[in-house]
Amino acid sequence: MKPRKRSLLLALAVAGFFTATPYARAQEARVALLSGITGPIAGMAPAMIASMKLALDQANAAGGLSYGKLLYQEFDDGCNPQIATDAMTKAVNVFKATAAVGPGCSGALLAAANSVSIPAGLLLISSSATSPKITTLDDKNLVYRTVPSDDYQGKVLARALLARGFKKVAVAYINNDYGKGLADAFKAEFEAKGGTITQFRGHEDKKPSYRADLAELAKGGADTLVLFDYANSSGLTILKQAIENNFFKNYVGADGMRDENLIKTLGADNLKTFLVSAPVGEAGEAYNRFAEAARKAGIDPNATFAATSYDAAFLVALALEAAKGDKSKLPQALRAVATAPGEPILPGEWDKAKKLLAAGKEIDYKGASGDLEFDAAGDVPGSFALFGVAGNTFKELQKMN
Amino acid sequence: MDLTLLNYPIFLGVLIALYALLTLGLNIQWGFAGLFNAGVAGFFAVGAYTSALLTAPPDPERILGLELPVAVGWLAATVMAALIAWPIGKVTLRFRADYLAIATIGIAEIIRLILRSEEALSGGVRGITQIPRPFGDLPYEAAQLAYLLLSWSLVGIIYWALERQVRAPWGRMMRAIRDNEAAAAAMGKDVEARRLEAFILGAAIMGLAGALYVHFMRAITPEAIDPMMVTFLVWIMLILGGSGNNRGALLGTALIWLIWSASELLTDRLPAEYATQAKYVRLFAVGLLLQIVLRWRPAGLLPERLYSIGQKG
Repeated sequence: MKPRKRSLLLALAVAGFFTATPYARAQEARVALLSGITGPIAGMAPAMIASMKLALDQANAAGGLSYGKLLYQEFDDGCNPQIATDAMTKAVNVFKATAAVGPGCSGALLAAANSVSIPAGLLLISSSATSPKITTLDDKNLVYRTVPSDDYQGKVLARALLARGFKKVAVAYINNDYGKGLADAFKAEFEAKGGTITQFRGHEDKKPSYRADLAELAKGGADTLVLFDYANSSGLTILKQAIENNFFKNYVGADGMRDENLIKTLGADNLKTFLVSAPVGEAGEAYNRFAEAARKAGIDPNATFAATSYDAAFLVALALEAAKGDKSKLPQALRAVATAPGEPILPGEWDKAKKLLAAGKEIDYKGASGDLEFDAAGDVPGSFALFGVAGNTFKELQKMN
Repeated sequence: MDLTLLNYPIFLGVLIALYALLTLGLNIQWGFAGLFNAGVAGFFAVGAYTSALLTAPPDPERILGLELPVAVGWLAATVMAALIAWPIGKVTLRFRADYLAIATIGIAEIIRLILRSEEALSGGVRGITQIPRPFGDLPYEAAQLAYLLLSWSLVGIIYWALERQVRAPWGRMMRAIRDNEAAAAAMGKDVEARRLEAFILGAAIMGLAGALYVHFMRAITPEAIDPMMVTFLVWIMLILGGSGNNRGALLGTALIWLIWSASELLTDRLPAEYATQAKYVRLFAVGLLLQIVLRWRPAGLLPERLYSIGQKG
């Protein structure tokens, strides 16, 4: 029985070493940054994490909170519910987070919020979880997001396409909460406003060929394909095969398809009839301030969810300052600093915000990704524009609302 | 003492209990009966969704939502996983080793894709939320502790029952079938029926694990039944701990989950520029550990013990 005892002791020693980590220190605020560093959104996570850090670093560089520094630590949510709850438990109980930014994916957020952060009373604000299910979460006022629900983008895109004269389209979507959410919202609005959807099909990702799906989609005679997918996944394959085989004349995508690599791979000449919708900063000035700071820090400001991630972290910092470190006042403080009325605060204007708050004035953060006025459920409406391809980049054609 | 420091070990304990049920279930199938089931996630999913559908509040977009007591959900999850395992076992258990693995992995994928696509059944990709949790109304710390006790008492009961079962003549017979099927058949054992029994028993325990999971998380989406996080992680736990030994299964589960989860605390001490990269190393470390164990301790940390008649062990 000796080896067994030895392994048991070893297990206990390992457990003891890891769990007895002392972390407690007063006079500071701790922000946990959760993102899908591994898993399906691993490609987007580095820019998201870097943008969150940028916001907190800016605040610290300008003197930090009035009662101490902003500390942060990143956690991997794996874009998966098991890993995300594990990360959230560590964030709450070991790191002793005062607030959290993330998790990055909807399924991960639902599990982590339901089982850890809401019972523990932790405020969280996600910059990339877009499922409409989060709107109806019984969240005790603790769950927010700076990215609009898919419901919203699907609807504005439907209205914009109808206004541009697209009356008959086929819809293909990647079968996950992102694609399905967008497609459902798009369909409801498009049909309600008099458009016709000839085919409506979900597909799984990672298939080598989508020609059979495309052949089905082309039935019904629509000359436009609306594709809700990711440019670094099946979206690219479908678009490539559709163009090669001339299945449709026009192609429309949503924010997941807005990726300059797509233009590099397929060639701008082939994408003359390609339109994408994507969120844009409402106030140009706010976005420019963020973009400048991001470029200096080596982050691509146009990376997916970079702006929303920056805003989420900056808002958390502002709320921590306004709540004076009282965790129970955070939700109220977050709403106060994010929504009108108040003196407008742009990205990076930490010093100004701090002074106004110290003087007891109201502030209203105007973010890089939009105005960020939270509604009762903690969602933002967001602002979107329609882009076309020009040269090797995307050019804004019109705002959508 | 600061009680919140205990929350993390308590959470680890609950997750280890969940995975312990999965490894115990797989141990019956692989460790004692030699059935290469690579579809653990499928039975886990059946259990999780069954219990969720029976206990969650109704939703106009999908069926059921009966708000039954949680205990009913757990029982139904166990029964449902067994019921699903029966026809699957009937069809696939004629296959040997690697063929059975391919068949079961395929079936698990079918189950996963059905749950992803059939919105009226499972809520589709958005999943099911607002699932009740036993003791969920208590304050955070107390609720976690209560769930820990609940889940470990279940693990305890199942461990005790399985230990009795594998020491009984049934266990000896299963090992005989596993080690020499022809000889066992010549002794008059009904090989096919016995293998089916082991398959169904293991699947039922996996279904219970799914139910335990879903009420702990209070929500389920198809990402939770990812083969990487359910099937393959469970296989690693069992191989590392020692298949054919229930204590080995428990030890392997605890070790792998501790390494998986707690290594993040260690990598967080690294300078910021390495902290992000270090997260990828976790996946690598688990694979490396498996390689090392297979090389130097191929039977696992706690190898199978030889039982003889009348031995209490």
